[in-house]
Amino acid sequence: MTDFERTLTRQDLLRYGAVGAAAIAVGAVPRSSLAGTRALAANPKSGGTLKFARSIAPTTLDPANTIIAGDIYTLDKIFEPLFVTSPAGKLTPWLATGYTLSKDKKTYTFDLRPGVKFSDGTPLTPADVVFSLDRSRKNPKGPLSFLDFAITSTGASGASKVVVQVSEPWAPLLSDVSAFSNAIMPANFGGASEASFFAHPIGTGPFTVSGFTPNAPSLTLKRNPSYWQKGKPYLDAVTFLFVDDDNQRLLQLRGGQADLIDLVPPSQVSSLKADSNVHVLLSSSWQVDLLVLNEKDPHFADRHVRRAISQAINTSALAHAATFGTAKPGGSFFPPSLQYYSPHTKLLGHSLSAARAELAKSKYPKGFSTEVLIDGGVQKWRTFAQIIQNQLKAIGITVKIRALDHAAFEEAFQKFDYKMFIDYAINDISDPDEMASFELDYKNGGSHSYWSSYNSASVTKLVRQAQSEFDSAKRAKLYAQIQSAVAQDAPFVALDYPPYINAYSTKVNGFAVNPGGAYRLENVWLA
Amino acid sequence: MLRYARRRLLSAAVVVLAVTVATFLILHVEPGDPARAVLGEHATPTEVQALRHQWGLDASLGSQFWRYVGDIVRGDFGRSYLAQTSTTSLIRERISVTAALVGMATLFSILITLPLAALAAARKERLPDHLVRGLSVAGLGLPAFWFGIVLIEIFALRLHLLPVGGWGDSFGAHIEGLILPALTASFAIAPILIRSLRVGMIEVLDADFVATLRAKGLGELRVLGHVSRNAVLPALSLLGINIAYLIGSTVVIERVFALQGLGSLLLSSISERDFPVVQAVTLILAVGVVLINLLTDLLAARLDPRIRLE
Repeated sequence: MTDFERTLTRQDLLRYGAVGAAAIAVGAVPRSSLAGTRALAANPKSGGTLKFARSIAPTTLDPANTIIAGDIYTLDKIFEPLFVTSPAGKLTPWLATGYTLSKDKKTYTFDLRPGVKFSDGTPLTPADVVFSLDRSRKNPKGPLSFLDFAITSTGASGASKVVVQVSEPWAPLLSDVSAFSNAIMPANFGGASEASFFAHPIGTGPFTVSGFTPNAPSLTLKRNPSYWQKGKPYLDAVTFLFVDDDNQRLLQLRGGQADLIDLVPPSQVSSLKADSNVHVLLSSSWQVDLLVLNEKDPHFADRHVRRAISQAINTSALAHAATFGTAKPGGSFFPPSLQYYSPHTKLLGHSLSAARAELAKSKYPKGFSTEVLIDGGVQKWRTFAQIIQNQLKAIGITVKIRALDHAAFEEAFQKFDYKMFIDYAINDISDPDEMASFELDYKNGGSHSYWSSYNSASVTKLVRQAQSEFDSAKRAKLYAQIQSAVAQDAPFVALDYPPYINAYSTKVNGFAVNPGGAYRLENVWLA
Repeated sequence: MLRYARRRLLSAAVVVLAVTVATFLILHVEPGDPARAVLGEHATPTEVQALRHQWGLDASLGSQFWRYVGDIVRGDFGRSYLAQTSTTSLIRERISVTAALVGMATLFSILITLPLAALAAARKERLPDHLVRGLSVAGLGLPAFWFGIVLIEIFALRLHLLPVGGWGDSFGAHIEGLILPALTASFAIAPILIRSLRVGMIEVLDADFVATLRAKGLGELRVLGHVSRNAVLPALSLLGINIAYLIGSTVVIERVFALQGLGSLLLSSISERDFPVVQAVTLILAVGVVLINLLTDLLAARLDPRIRLE
């Protein structure tokens, strides 16, 4: 791989799909089945240090001020939120044991888990939760503070309850609270200054860090002896080794320098599977790779053109060729691992004759010339662009590829300086509203429908209805309608759903990744 | 000698200044906004604007440049946008890695070059000469990267003598971790040095004073000793240029061997437009290159009085 460009957000962890020659069918590995069954197969053993080679070094451990992968997957071992998302994608009570919701659905009362202590031994109190939530939601620079916009106030109630008020009935609230940015830390940083607190952080998580330096070559986290889950974590310590080169990470795993690695290039999956000393884990993600069509361009303002493009693109061939079969081909704009994904979405499907017929109905029946913008540092996007270029040629659309470096690429599409662009979209939490409103609510979503300028009154209405619908059957129906409408209007084409790919030595047990890309290490043990 | 040194120092300062201006301009003219990179895609334009203002990125290019130069003069490289810490502290941690890598690679290059060049020169147009020349042509043709992979395969994966990569956490581990990357880097420059030193030695071997030495009955080894002192000058300035090249190539080598030095810091900072870090690292690398060239020039002048008088 030649991706010298080191991208950073946690979404970017997934961008590094590598591409090469032969395609292999990895098949549908049931997520977490490997890790899950292996963990049960033997009694967990305590002790030892896990050496985990990861692509990106952390720059800060402050949950409220980062969206960077290296930071998030480090600080989430130290700080924990009220709820977490399990590897199966389900919300799980964590520092809260549960909650009650008022009749008007505007007041949540959370019950804090008894017996939880911070790593310095002080007990968790409602004041800590209030402090942490307020700090996160009121942070003007917080990349995820938008998740908390519905919260109007927070307060302690008694010795073990926290009351959260929302402005309107807001179904995604529990998911919002489960975001890493809403993790809990001691009120007023336990008396320390902010800077010194994050250099010597104190949390309730399974691991602690004794002194944090940004961007160090490695970082060792030690077992938190007062962790609330008795007997856990099994490991004495975790050492993260920061290795940005894909090949070097693989070599470190083969050489025994690392026990576990992240971001395995899809091209390497088949050869790793042949190695009996190594396990490969493919975990579904809340990510979908999209071809976005700019409706400010007259071609793409024409619904027939968009539909024709969607029909001309063969996502099965694309996913197979470009991801070595590791990714599932695209359909709905919701990834299959996301709550309320509908397998019955009315898709346009791939058919060249249908695509030609659709284009014939447009203002450009004979086709036209256009261009696709990509982040040129990522080989996967280059392959995608070339395949799409080829597939669209068949219906008379000539595509030029415009590759920019990461930062310039982001600036270009966010300024609508593009015709089509390819990028990932990701849900940060378990509730699909984030993706639905960010990609479809032109006015309130924050991105003018993922920079496509798609503006459908009926779809927007459904998206907003789903936000205040608490009945899950009714919500599922709303999201199914939304997914079908989007598939028919084709503001963007869902290209594929890539998995997270990890590899580890056979002595590692209990490792699992949730669809948000987070892995909790308290269940991991070394044989 | 002093006048010569002053002249060289002055031109070195001009080069450093030019690099400073060029880095600043390229970074600021190139599209890509650090505020967007830090805030993520959910940030509103107002939030992005506020951060740009806080970082002074909304000021005119001219006033940003003067502030940057003023800060450097005061020894202040600013704060990293991403790590939210002082650029100086980020660099301090990494500069020793890069310096150690360059130092060890230079040492290896010299250790490889001297005996091989001497052997080839002494056995001119015979088997050892052909072997050395063949090897250096092969070395020039093959990418250093490939040597790195082969070295890892042999010494780390098969023999388990050295780590695959990484910096380790003790002095001994640092040294062990540096051997393979330094060897890889030295393979990239040793062939050029060998060829240059060999030619120089052959020329000197034909000189009259060598005939005199031989006539005096000196052994071949001692003759080579006299010869190398005279032949080393062109190789020395080549070495200087190559150390400069080496400093540049650490960007790739550090990545391949997972060494967190200045090169890897530079790469990650460029992609996220962490302006203060990119500017500081580029400046330091430029100063390093200029200093090495200056030192070799001065050393050459010291060894050969003719250079000073030019």
